[in-house]
Amino acid sequence: MNAEAIQKKVEEQVLDSYEAMYRLAYTYVKNEDDALDIVQESVYKAIKYAGRIRQEQHIRTWLWRIVMNTAVDFIRKNHREIAEEQMEDVGKEDVYQDFDTIEALEILDEREKTVVVLRFFEDQKLDDIARILNENTSTVKTVLYRSLKKLKIRLTEGEMLYEG
Amino acid sequence: MKDERLENMRQDYEHIRIPDNLRQRVDAGIQQAKEENKEEKKRMKRKSKVILFVKTAGGAVVAAMLAITIMANSGASIANAMMKIPVIGAIAEVVTFREYKDTTNNMEADVKVPEISVTNEDGTVNEETTEQINKSIQEYTDEIIAQYKADVEASGGEVNQLVELDYQVITDAERLFSIRFDKLTIMASGAESVKIYHIDKQTGQMIGLSGLFKDGVDFINPISDNIKEQMRQQMAEDEGKMYFLDTDMPESDFQSITEDTTFYVNDSGKLVIVFDEYEVAPGSMGSVEFEIPTEVIQDLVQEGFVS
Repeated sequence: MNAEAIQKKVEEQVLDSYEAMYRLAYTYVKNEDDALDIVQESVYKAIKYAGRIRQEQHIRTWLWRIVMNTAVDFIRKNHREIAEEQMEDVGKEDVYQDFDTIEALEILDEREKTVVVLRFFEDQKLDDIARILNENTSTVKTVLYRSLKKLKIRLTEGEMLYEG
Repeated sequence: MKDERLENMRQDYEHIRIPDNLRQRVDAGIQQAKEENKEEKKRMKRKSKVILFVKTAGGAVVAAMLAITIMANSGASIANAMMKIPVIGAIAEVVTFREYKDTTNNMEADVKVPEISVTNEDGTVNEETTEQINKSIQEYTDEIIAQYKADVEASGGEVNQLVELDYQVITDAERLFSIRFDKLTIMASGAESVKIYHIDKQTGQMIGLSGLFKDGVDFINPISDNIKEQMRQQMAEDEGKMYFLDTDMPESDFQSITEDTTFYVNDSGKLVIVFDEYEVAPGSMGSVEFEIPTEVIQDLVQEGFVS
């Protein structure tokens, strides 16, 4: 596929999924302004480097990946502020045991958060998540088990691995 | 049934408020990237070399002229070489060429297929290498023609597409004979790719990149390192330059050349490594070339290839 055609496809995919991109970004940074910055930056990168994609079916996983990388970069750059905020507001994991909101995800690290969000909230397949994280599927499975344990959520193997 | 808390979290996630200006910010990101890509393309167009673009008017006449020019040229340089060096190895030359031309509605193909003849020192034809190189060329051109035919079939010729393949003898030096193919595909945008075949005139054999070097030496790492150095330097000096190197997606970064990486030796006797479009840089950079300073490889390379 040539450069212009693939760029167009990426643009279509972006316009199709920018709300999901925003939600994922928001899950990392927990405020609108930063999430908006991350989305704009991600969209920019996606269109600018669209020429790197060779297969159309990879566009969506690629977009997730850019959002994740951009968010993680963003957090690292702003590490200090967020860390301080968390110390004050978030506290220990016990506080969240009864919470049914995405605040509960705060006890997870970034990778665990990504896996949980993509698997359970965005219904992505484990194989795709593995591609997004550049890990193999069994590692993703391990991360998923560990995350659910931290969240004190019990699922059957079936519920964990398959959509439904 | 799924865990209730997980279900509630999912609900909460789905209810994350979407700010009113989100779409605006998305459009801004798209706009910014598009403008930069356009700028880059313009810059690259100015910088990029002239792509060989021989428009044939009346098939046979032009064909004959072209063949004669090439023969005369290669004859001249062979004569020249003979004066300087008393013993000369094999002679390779383009003896004739065929042309595949087709126009179907908006689709057009013009593929030139040269035939090479390799002659031994004693004037006999080196049949093995002659057959080998012509077969390689034919496989390559057949594939291009087949792809074009498949595209015509698929679209009924309704899309705009132009495929041109042209060749040029770029080197006919003391030891090396190289013939270069420039393939230009124009659909919505253009794509260039390059293929070059080489004959070592000393041995009469077809060679790839590894054929330039002494047996068993590592030329891959020194050349790859030099290319990375050049990429970094170019990116530092010119914001418009962009290579797949040191990016946040390391696995798609340029790692190293291979034993068969495309190359040629330029007029000043320097080794030049060629990458196709998209291979090491975004499409906006086109196909890119790196001249390798001879001091990087002088202890590794066999005599007579570079200077």
